[in-house]
Amino acid sequence: MELAKNNPTLINKKNIMIWATALVVVVAVSFVPVIFSRYVIYVATLALLYAMLTASYDLIFGYTGQLSFSQGAFFGLGAYTSALLTLSGGLNFWLALPLTVIVGFIIAALIGSPALRLRGSYFAVTTFFLAHFVYLVFLNTDKLTGGPMGLRNIQPPDKLWFIDFSQMNVYFYFVLLFTILVLLFLYYLIYKTEIGRRFVAIREDQDLAESLGVNTSFYKVLSFSISGALAALCGSLFAHYFLLLHPSQFAWFTSEMIVIMTLVGGAGTLIGPVLGAAVVTFILELFRYAPELRFIIWAAALIAILVFEPKGLMGMAKRIRFRRSQ
Amino acid sequence: MEIYIINGLVLGSIYALIALGINLIWSITDIPDFSQGGIYVISAYVVYFSITTLNLPWYIAIVAAALAGAVMAFCFEKFLYRRWRGRTDHIQLLCAIALFFLLANLAIYLWTAKSLNLEHYIMGKAEIFGVGVSYQRLMIIVVVIVLFILINLFLMKTKTGKAIRAATQDIEVAPWMGIDINKVFSIIFAMGGALSGIAAALVAPVFAVYPMMGELPLLKALVVVILGGKGSLVGTLIAGMGLGILESLGAGYISASYQHGYAFIILLIVLVFKPQGLFGSRKE
Repeated sequence: MELAKNNPTLINKKNIMIWATALVVVVAVSFVPVIFSRYVIYVATLALLYAMLTASYDLIFGYTGQLSFSQGAFFGLGAYTSALLTLSGGLNFWLALPLTVIVGFIIAALIGSPALRLRGSYFAVTTFFLAHFVYLVFLNTDKLTGGPMGLRNIQPPDKLWFIDFSQMNVYFYFVLLFTILVLLFLYYLIYKTEIGRRFVAIREDQDLAESLGVNTSFYKVLSFSISGALAALCGSLFAHYFLLLHPSQFAWFTSEMIVIMTLVGGAGTLIGPVLGAAVVTFILELFRYAPELRFIIWAAALIAILVFEPKGLMGMAKRIRFRRSQ
Repeated sequence: MEIYIINGLVLGSIYALIALGINLIWSITDIPDFSQGGIYVISAYVVYFSITTLNLPWYIAIVAAALAGAVMAFCFEKFLYRRWRGRTDHIQLLCAIALFFLLANLAIYLWTAKSLNLEHYIMGKAEIFGVGVSYQRLMIIVVVIVLFILINLFLMKTKTGKAIRAATQDIEVAPWMGIDINKVFSIIFAMGGALSGIAAALVAPVFAVYPMMGELPLLKALVVVILGGKGSLVGTLIAGMGLGILESLGAGYISASYQHGYAFIILLIVLVFKPQGLFGSRKE
C-alpha cells in the first residue's frame, strides 16, 4: 500500500534508487545459470518457484489479512491437474497451463465461499484441515494420481518456438524469472487500484470496511481465488520441472513452509515474501544432509522470528534505514 | 454395527478430551492451541518410558504424562503466548503451530519415526451387546466422562472456576473484579496440557506411540470445538463422541481410506447451514 500511496507515477526521483537496485538484482539473478553449476541452477530454480508460490500467498495473507494454511493444497491441485491433463488428457503443456489456472480459481472460489464466512482462527483451522483433506484425496484416488506410488513420466513443457525445454533446465529458470517479474508487476497494479485498497481495508478492519460499503465477503473470496489460481500456476510449473509427483510433497507442512517463508521476508510488502522464499530455500539446502535437524531448526527459527522480528527481513531493513536517517 | 459404535465412542472420547482442553484455552485466550498436538506426542513418550524404562505402574505413568503436559503448556503460555496477549494479528496462532511442528520433529529426532507398542494397562475383555470390548477401551470412555464431570464441578463450584468463567465472559472487566488474569491463564493452559497428556496416556496402549500420532487427533479436536461451540462443555462431549461414531461408521460402511476426511466434510456442511456451531452461541 505504501508503494501505491507514495508513487503516483511508476518512476520518479524518489524511487529511482529502488528501481536501479531492482534492475541490478534481476541482471545478477539472470547470470546465475551462466556462472554456476547444474546443482546451483537446480536450487536457484526451486528458490524461484517457492518465491512465486510465496508471492501468491501474500495476496490472501499479507494484503487481505486472512491467515490460510491451504496454499500447499492449491499448489498440489495445480501440479496434479496439469500433470493429468498432459498425461491422461494428452494436452499440450501450454494449453494445460491456463486450464490449470482456471481450475485453481474455481476450486478456490468454491471452497472459499463457505470457509471465508469464518473469521480469523476459525478460518485458519478450516484451511488447515482442507490441506489435510486434499492430501487424503491425492493419496486415495490412486487410479488417477497413482496414490502412494506417485505420478511418474510427466514430460517437460512442449517446445515453444525455438525453446526446447527437454534439452536444458536453464530455460526453465528464465521462464520462472520472467513469470515472477510479470507477477510482481501484476501485484503492483492490483495494489494500486481500487481492488487492492479494498483488500487492505479488509485486513485493517473488516467491520469498518463493511460499514463503508465494501462487499467484504466478495473481495475476500476474490483474493482467495486469485491466490489459489496463482498457486495452481506454480504447481503446474513445478510438476513439469520436477517430473515426479507424490502426495507427501503437498502435505500440511508444505503450506506451513509457505507461511514461514512469507513471515521471514515480511508479509504484505510485495518484495519481502520473494526474498524470504529465496533465503529459506538456500538455508534449507545447507541442511540437506541432516533432514531431522532441518525441521527442528525451521520451527525454532519461526518462533525466533515471531519473538524478535515479526515483520521479517523487510521490517528489519526498514528499521535500519530509519535509524540511519536519524 | 455395535462394534463400530463402541470403537467410535472410544475414538470420540479421546477427541472430546483433547478438545476440552483446547476449548477452555480457545474460549478464554482466542488461541486455537495447536501446540496441544505436540504436547500429546511428548506425553505419550513420557508414558512409554515411565512404564518400560522406569518400571512405574501405569496409574503413576498417567499422572506423569498429565504433569509433563501441564508443565509444557504452562511454559509455552508463560514464555511465549503471554508476550503477545491482546494482539489481534495471528502471531499466537503461528507460534502455536510452530510449537506443534517443533515437538513432533523433536520426537522424530530423539526417538526415530518408528512406532512403539505398550501392553494394555488392564487385561481382559467385557461382553457388551455380544461384542467383546477390552477393559482398556472401556476405561478410556469411563475416565473421559469422569474427567468431564470433574472439570464441570471445578468450573461451577470452586472460586478459581468462577474466576475462569468470569474471565471467559469479559477479559477486560475481570481484572477490575480482583481477578489475577495471569494466574487464570496459567491455570487454564496447565489444565489443557494435562488433559492432552492424559488423553495420550490413555491411547498409548490401544494405538501405537509414534512422532506423528498427534496430527489427526489434533485436527479432529479442533473440529470438535468448532462443531460443539466455544465454551460449551456438553457440546464438546457430544460433538466429540458424535464425530467418533460417525467416523467409525463411515470407515465401516462407506470407505475406510477417507476415515480421516469425514470430519472436514461434516465441518463444511455445518458451516454452510449453521455457522455458529451446533451448540454454541458465539458471535463470530
